[in-house]
Amino acid sequence: MNTEKAAIELRDVLNLDKSTTKQIPFNEVEISIPKQQLLLAVKTILKSGIWHLSAITCQQLEDDFILLYHFWKSGGLTLQIRLDEKKPQVDSICPLIPGAEYYEREAREMFGIEFLGLPNPVPLLLPDDWQGGYPMRKKEQPSYDKTEGDDLLEKGKSS
Amino acid sequence: MSKITVPIGPQHPLLKEPLSFLVSLEGEKVTDSVLRLGYVHRGIEKLAEQRTYIQNIYLIERICGICSHIHSTTYCQSVEALLKLKVPKRGLYIRMLLCELERIHSHLLWLGVLAKNIGLNTLFMYAWRDREIVLNIMEEISGGRVSHSVNVIGGVQVNLTENHLSLLQQNLQKLNTRVKEILRSIENDRSFQARTQKIGHLSLEDIKRYCVVGPVARASGLDIDIRRDAPYAAYDELTFEVPVMTEGDVWARSILRVLETLQAIRLCVQIINNLPDGPVSIPAPRRVPAGEVVSRAEAPRGEVFYYVRSDGSQNPARLKVRTPTLTTLITLPGQLKNMQLADVSAIIAGVDLCIACGDR
Repeated sequence: MNTEKAAIELRDVLNLDKSTTKQIPFNEVEISIPKQQLLLAVKTILKSGIWHLSAITCQQLEDDFILLYHFWKSGGLTLQIRLDEKKPQVDSICPLIPGAEYYEREAREMFGIEFLGLPNPVPLLLPDDWQGGYPMRKKEQPSYDKTEGDDLLEKGKSS
Repeated sequence: MSKITVPIGPQHPLLKEPLSFLVSLEGEKVTDSVLRLGYVHRGIEKLAEQRTYIQNIYLIERICGICSHIHSTTYCQSVEALLKLKVPKRGLYIRMLLCELERIHSHLLWLGVLAKNIGLNTLFMYAWRDREIVLNIMEEISGGRVSHSVNVIGGVQVNLTENHLSLLQQNLQKLNTRVKEILRSIENDRSFQARTQKIGHLSLEDIKRYCVVGPVARASGLDIDIRRDAPYAAYDELTFEVPVMTEGDVWARSILRVLETLQAIRLCVQIINNLPDGPVSIPAPRRVPAGEVVSRAEAPRGEVFYYVRSDGSQNPARLKVRTPTLTTLITLPGQLKNMQLADVSAIIAGVDLCIACGDR
């Protein structure tokens, strides 16, 4: 099944109208869905034979967080969900696709998205004692003040 | 039996880049392993938001020290899609040539690393000797051995001369003979088989569940290759085969990569024989219209994924990079389980990790 057919089927299952879908370059169909329906949407996609999740992109747009789930099978199929800035919370898709674990962990530490049911919510890329906030957020500039080793740097400068 | 935990990394002779494994052992058997990334995390995605589209080409190239060209290719083709630019054919062909040379270089480098990790030093030396041929060609074309800076938005900034073409003709033939010789010697070599067969096994189900890409997926029987399934640049004009094996162990991955190297040489020969005339690039505006694009390409380690969103300014609003190493890393704890400690080195080398890619 190609991705366009899968997108039509997905819209039928979720009762979405055509305006939620748009085409972006390199043969990619993007569908906006409500965040409550994410797990149902992923199940529908898996059922239609598309099992490859390329990546999860998180970004901040007009104060809200946008999560993009990029599926692929000869063409791309992207699910878009919008999360509220005050409470960025969404179900983890790891029980359905275990390969999503690293992508969700990355979005968690870089943007502060809470994935409900994420099996191993520990830092992936940032240091264990990182206290610089969520570095990829637009408003937040990462602060390096409290990281380990900085006092050594200061001592080196003063001596 | 008492349990011991052995730390492998972040600094370890086995690893060429920093990565940490905490391997729990019962006797010689691995019972569990915990993986930790982030020792070469440079925040490239954040940095990219603060630089212009042109500056980003050179930043993106520094994600990886082995497959730098494929990163800039994927990035440039994303931006070109946003600008609706049509890159001249000759530019695309030179891009593809560098991509395939890079694949040969990456696979031979990897073969050397695996050979060294399993104690076959002669194979290591042969593989790296032959890798020099490719590196010399790339240096001749671009001026750099690993960071080429060949891509610009709208094409490439180098051109191939008659000298380059004759150098390529001669050396690719030599390389083809040498790689075939390597294939012949490892295919039936008993000591190579003893160290690589039936270890690090991944089934086709696991590959699909973990969304693994590249040679690791193809060695487990998954027929997937972006160059053929969703052609970018001008791959739809070339003929090549995608080797697929079903064993799913380190041995299959090794043979498969050597077969892929032969296919890459075949592609290079096709490219230089069919090289179109004309310009290599077209001028591109500095401001990129608002929009978003998803771009994929087949790096030496599998599908590399780029998402670029522009808000109409000089800098990208979001640049997301997903490298193929991230998909294979997640399978490593499963592959190591119930293996002997002595096989850990072969398994880690077998998946061809590029930690700098994974960490970004």
